[in-house]
Amino acid sequence: MRAFLQTLIGGIGFGAVYALVAMGFSIVYRTMGLVNFAHGSVVMIGAYAASTFSMTVALPFPVAIVIAIVVTGLIGLVIERVLRPLEGRDFDLMLIGTIGFGTVLEALAILIWGATGHAVPSPVGSAPLDVFGVRVRAYSLVVIAVAAGATVLLALFLRRTKLGAAMQAVAMDPQAATAVGVHVGRSNAMAFAIGAGLAALAGGLIGPMLYVSPVMGGSLGIKGFAAAIFGGFGSIPGAIVGGMAFGILDSFAAGTFQGYSELVVFLVFTVAIMILPTGIFGERTVNRA
Amino acid sequence: MTGPELSVAGLGVNYGGVRAAHDIAFTVAPGEAVGIIGANGAGKTSTLKAIMGLAPRVVRTLRFGEHDLARMPAHQVVRAGIGYVPEGRHVFPGLTVDKNLLLGAYTRKWDAETKGSLEEVFTMFPVLGEMRHRLAGALSGGQQQMLAIGRALMSRPRLMVLDEPSMGLSPKLVGEILLALRRLNEEGLSILLVEQNAKLTFEVTSRCLVMENGEIAMTGTCAALRGDPTVRRVYLGV
Amino acid sequence: MRRLALIPLAVAAVLLPYGLDRYAIHVVDVAIVFALLGIGLGLVMGVAGQVNLAQIAFFGIGAYACAILTTRAGLGFWVAAALAVLVAVAVGLVVAIPALRVQSHYLGIVTLGLALAFINWITNTPEAGGSEGISDLPVPPMFGIDLTSEHLFYYLEIVVFAIGLAFALFVVASPLGRRMRAMRDDSLAAGALGADIPLLRVTAFVLSGLYGGLAGVLYAGLIRYVAPETFSVANMFLLLAMVIIGGRQSILGCVAGAVALSLLREVLADFSVYAQLGYGTVVVLMVVFAPTGLAGLPRLLRARLSRHRSGERAELRPFTPDDPAPVQGGGDMLEVRGVSMRFKGLRALEEVSLTVPAGQIRGVVGPNGSGKTTLFNIVSGFYVATAGRVLLEGDDVGGVAPYRLARRGVARTFQNLRLFGDLTVRENLLVALDHTRTAWTWRYVALPHAVVRHDRALRDQAARLLDRYGLTAFADAQPRSLPYGIQRRIEIARAMALSPRLLLLDEPAAGLNGEEVLRLAEMVRSLRASGVTIVIIEHNMGLVMSLCDQVTVLSGGRVIADGLPGEVAVLPEVVEAYLGEPAYLSDDNEDAPEAAR
Repeated sequence: MRAFLQTLIGGIGFGAVYALVAMGFSIVYRTMGLVNFAHGSVVMIGAYAASTFSMTVALPFPVAIVIAIVVTGLIGLVIERVLRPLEGRDFDLMLIGTIGFGTVLEALAILIWGATGHAVPSPVGSAPLDVFGVRVRAYSLVVIAVAAGATVLLALFLRRTKLGAAMQAVAMDPQAATAVGVHVGRSNAMAFAIGAGLAALAGGLIGPMLYVSPVMGGSLGIKGFAAAIFGGFGSIPGAIVGGMAFGILDSFAAGTFQGYSELVVFLVFTVAIMILPTGIFGERTVNRA
Repeated sequence: MTGPELSVAGLGVNYGGVRAAHDIAFTVAPGEAVGIIGANGAGKTSTLKAIMGLAPRVVRTLRFGEHDLARMPAHQVVRAGIGYVPEGRHVFPGLTVDKNLLLGAYTRKWDAETKGSLEEVFTMFPVLGEMRHRLAGALSGGQQQMLAIGRALMSRPRLMVLDEPSMGLSPKLVGEILLALRRLNEEGLSILLVEQNAKLTFEVTSRCLVMENGEIAMTGTCAALRGDPTVRRVYLGV
Repeated sequence: MRRLALIPLAVAAVLLPYGLDRYAIHVVDVAIVFALLGIGLGLVMGVAGQVNLAQIAFFGIGAYACAILTTRAGLGFWVAAALAVLVAVAVGLVVAIPALRVQSHYLGIVTLGLALAFINWITNTPEAGGSEGISDLPVPPMFGIDLTSEHLFYYLEIVVFAIGLAFALFVVASPLGRRMRAMRDDSLAAGALGADIPLLRVTAFVLSGLYGGLAGVLYAGLIRYVAPETFSVANMFLLLAMVIIGGRQSILGCVAGAVALSLLREVLADFSVYAQLGYGTVVVLMVVFAPTGLAGLPRLLRARLSRHRSGERAELRPFTPDDPAPVQGGGDMLEVRGVSMRFKGLRALEEVSLTVPAGQIRGVVGPNGSGKTTLFNIVSGFYVATAGRVLLEGDDVGGVAPYRLARRGVARTFQNLRLFGDLTVRENLLVALDHTRTAWTWRYVALPHAVVRHDRALRDQAARLLDRYGLTAFADAQPRSLPYGIQRRIEIARAMALSPRLLLLDEPAAGLNGEEVLRLAEMVRSLRASGVTIVIIEHNMGLVMSLCDQVTVLSGGRVIADGLPGEVAVLPEVVEAYLGEPAYLSDDNEDAPEAAR
């Protein structure tokens, strides 16, 4: 039971990060119908930026993450601008184009930070906490709390603010949104920046949990994307559920199948997506008839 | 005030080589209600979308009051004072009724005055007030139509442009919509109404254009058109 | 003439090793392996439109299976190689299963996930040697020829490659390849023209597995060492870049891209990061500005040039009527009995019944949203009715897939034209003319001559059809470059290429000018005279009144009138439905929530 709970909490920690990645995918997809395969690489850039600013420049960790969010937000705007001609039209081309962007970002990361990567020390004490007899990494709790906070902020933004409502309106019906006066292009750019910002947050948070390297984006991005699809592409609750499911699955698969966990995770995902092709919450896509 | 509120001349719409509308010209005077009727595929909706900047268009003159709509991006048109009720309602299905209406006032500040407008809409369509926290997608077709009209009113327009508000509604609901439109017009709102339902249009408007194959086939007062066999030929081919 | 051009190419291929040192020939050998892989990816992705990011895993499976079977099971190289290719094909078959359920980016993530799963497996399982991989594979024996020499191995590769390339080109140009390309451009329309989409998707993945497996086996024989990093996701993206830059829809483009990028990678081996930066950037630019890759550039340029040249334009020639043929049988062609259709609570059709006698031209009219197209979608098999039956010449065909209905003589056109955009007009017709089953595909391997003969016969038919519909001048143009009226004509010609007995026309006059509408009416009458039963949805009431023998009026998903055109048009309920006289519509739709959009 104790081992079970420990694995579960570890899984939720990773799941929280996957959920952030998946939310980034989903918010971009549902607002403008753009499938961003470079998202994983944006996460990687975020992880590097955050760790560089906190370790090399010696800024406090939260400040470093905020800077990372700004940096990746700008990258997001560039990607969106370049691929705008393909939005909502040709998914296959867009997919390949964003894969190309991912390759470019990876190469840039190697040029800037080198190919080897580095470990990031945990910003909180590494000694495990004892919660009712269950040993938990303190940092896992930090990650869960920050991710939950970010989710709540995002939800509040979408629900309570005029800008957030407009962004959702654009996602549901760009033409009707235009008719009530919303500038769709500006709203899309903002959605993309938010998506990239979420990626940076995810990257910054996962830095101390993994080894930061130029190739870390691959697996993280794919799992985040898979989580988004599994939850229901474009749905925010879907992204959270999908992310958690992936984190927990990952965690238990690692315990049970050791090195084969990735194999198991992706086989399970493949079967799940064949049973539920549009995910748990169904696909939320843009209306562009 | 003299001169037309909305004036359109030489308006054409082309979708990928298909000519949906051609050389459309008409005016709407302040406080006037004008209808565009015609069968399916006659180009009515394309004409409206072109006016709103939502369809690819060519145009010689497109003015609204002091605004030159021909040079205005689509999201600015509402700021000039035109409220648009699209064909098929197009409410934001995943947002609440409240939010839908508030988004109608996107160009205004969301303050006490906006809240006031919200209450006005609820007075006009009490059922929307009862459902204000429901998701728009869960409303019936008629309620969605009311919501779409309410949303357009929230921007405090001088001209209301409606596309097929009767589509898919029962006669009882069509009657309610008709009364609401008449009242709005009596309060001084100009109306441009596109309808397949000629009968409804004649009840609301004073003057009508009849469209056929992308062109204006005839124009006239509703009284004159009501008995005109040509209207019937345009619709039914005999 | 084109065959003659192959001779210098072949001579050059034979002589090439004499001019290269050991390192250079190694680079060439690896490039050929990637070219084979590129062909596989081009077939599955460029030709069949299936996003397959597991191609590198097929490659790995071929190589690893060969390595494991030789070193662990002690099999001879060629036996192992043959088995390894079979294994790769089998895996292709398995990976095709998700493609039956999901497409596009979903399929991309699933296949990429499976590729990761494969990498995960080989880096962990002891049989595959973990991250060290497997070394010391045996040298492939070849009648005493020493294949440790990479110069000699080159000849083995070039033979396999030449056969592989020839087969791929043959497949693409054949009826099967045409069907795959049609599926890529519009799977719905391809289905309506008799292409069984699931089997085609599986075939595409099998081909990609075959080429992946072949490449893997050659790689194993060449390097005689396999390790996980060769099959990494980074290399998958490199392979993708090769295919995109070369031009995914052209097999030769894929080969050129693969060879070019392989060589470039070696040249820039010391600057690999810059190389990566470079090809990533080129991929992005290609996708935005030249989605058809290098292979598509000539066409792109030609299109740009011809736009500037206005001058002479090919003319649409008049339609030549077919010989009149009496209607066979004379019973009812189509009977719709009490059909209802619901979408998430929205009632699109309510108890619709109609009977179309053989040889009739039937009009189906009604206001917007009255359910006309839904009715067509049910009759042509796209939807399965919630209730009721559809009988075709007395046989119940409810729930029969579109491609089966197409083979039973039901053809249709679409309201918003669904021509295959990247196929020529001729190929659009050829897709419909081919009535063979995809299961017929085994002949591609066993009897290529029969395929060629079959294709030649199809081309003759297509030429006659093009001529009859006055389209010969546009035969080799892409439909989307043509005026709308001509596209409408092509769609009818394509539907008629199925030799249907029942033709469903969905708003064939939409967007046509007056002259074109008259010609359409003539054409439809002549088609009926040649023995085809026609059901037509149309808004142009003038056309309906003059053309149709009988008219069915739908309103709110119900049949409100059915009879002779002149009689129906004066019925008060029809006038009401169109012009909106009050008090006819019933109240019962009132509180049904709208279908969630």
